[in-house]
Amino acid sequence: MMEKMIFGRYLPLQSVVHRLDPRAKLLFIFGFVIVVFLANNALSYGLLAVFTLVFIYLSKINVRFLLAGLKPVIWLIAFTFLLHIFLTREGDLLFEAGFLKVYEGGVRQGAFISLRFLLLIFVTSLLTLTTSPISITDGLESLLKPFKKLKLPVHELALMMSISLRFIPTLMDETDKIMKAQMARGADFSSGPIKERVKAVVPLLIPLFVSAFKRAEELAVAMEARGYKGGEGRTKYRLLHWQGRDTAALIILVVLAALLWWTRS
Amino acid sequence: MKKMNIRTLTSVGLLSTLAYLLMLLNFPIPPFPSFLMIDFSDIPALIAAIIFGPLAGIMVELVKNVLDFFMTGSPTGVPVGHLANFVAGITFILPVYYVYKKFESKKGLTVALAAGAVFMAVMMSVLNYYVILPAYTLFLNAPAMSAPETKEMVVSAILPFNMIKGIVMAVVFLLIYSRIYVWMRKQAAVS
Repeated sequence: MMEKMIFGRYLPLQSVVHRLDPRAKLLFIFGFVIVVFLANNALSYGLLAVFTLVFIYLSKINVRFLLAGLKPVIWLIAFTFLLHIFLTREGDLLFEAGFLKVYEGGVRQGAFISLRFLLLIFVTSLLTLTTSPISITDGLESLLKPFKKLKLPVHELALMMSISLRFIPTLMDETDKIMKAQMARGADFSSGPIKERVKAVVPLLIPLFVSAFKRAEELAVAMEARGYKGGEGRTKYRLLHWQGRDTAALIILVVLAALLWWTRS
Repeated sequence: MKKMNIRTLTSVGLLSTLAYLLMLLNFPIPPFPSFLMIDFSDIPALIAAIIFGPLAGIMVELVKNVLDFFMTGSPTGVPVGHLANFVAGITFILPVYYVYKKFESKKGLTVALAAGAVFMAVMMSVLNYYVILPAYTLFLNAPAMSAPETKEMVVSAILPFNMIKGIVMAVVFLLIYSRIYVWMRKQAAVS
């Protein structure tokens, strides 16, 4: 459980996708989400699917992990697929049983849309599965740098995110401890009507707040003692290096977009 | 924009962690569809806003949602739910903060929380109608809803749900606030 909280869904493996710069991956995902909507016929969807499968293969991630991420939405996909099958009335009539009429267009629509949905989930999952939260944070800070000109607190945001990430296991531990202490006194957090839950959550929140503030205070003092003075001229422990493969990944995405543009009807 | 000092930075970081953890303890309320979940993660954001100012509150909402997206991903691939949560949080804490600043009393806080709950419910209904539900149908590819259907959804589920969520938040916050009021004052004075 603890491990899981520190790394999120990150699976530390050795692969090309893991070694990609987090900035490249973030840009790639951002582009991919837009590119996916270009596909609109069998050929372009096939292209997208092949492309995604190649990336999954390159990442060496076990497909089991990707499928596990689908669990919460699998019924939704099935449901929308069926809705499309039964409600879209286009193309040739394929099958008729009483009031049920299945049209070719419906099957096609349902299949395409479910596929698009699956591919979107797979690719965004690949980001969180192959990149640790801390390097995503680094990548975000670096990508958002231009917004500093608009006086947005980019460095501060990244710092807060790293602090926040660092303390997830610590506070998780503490929440667990307090919950157990309250449960030993008969509190019930996981069931009951809203009123009961509200009553149960107050004695949990107050010690948590006090402890969070105490830790924040200690951390602030420690940082001040070490001469933290904001983002200006601060050096980094983990440096990001943009390499050939990162440029290559983005070029591949552009090529994919061009191919989709060419094959779409 | 005022520069944040180190204490504000670390406190917002820790409060975001807390908000993120509270977000994991979310639960649906029975009559509403299961994607409408209540959690107590807006409480840390509200406390951050009242002690350190509105920007700190917004930051807590932002960091909490970004963290949750990185750690658990989003069932839609594109974080529509996280964006909705972020906007809902802000439309709740900002009115509370500004109304509370006007009165600075316990009665004022009650009024402020009520204003926040109402504002959030109304804003979220409008946003759901025009932006969030269409975005869901686009990314989650539920079949597109017609305007009357969307309206019915907003009136029958989104509006009452956000109202109840706002009231629950307000009650929890009042209960907590009455207990740590003095202590919070001290924190605000130090920072």
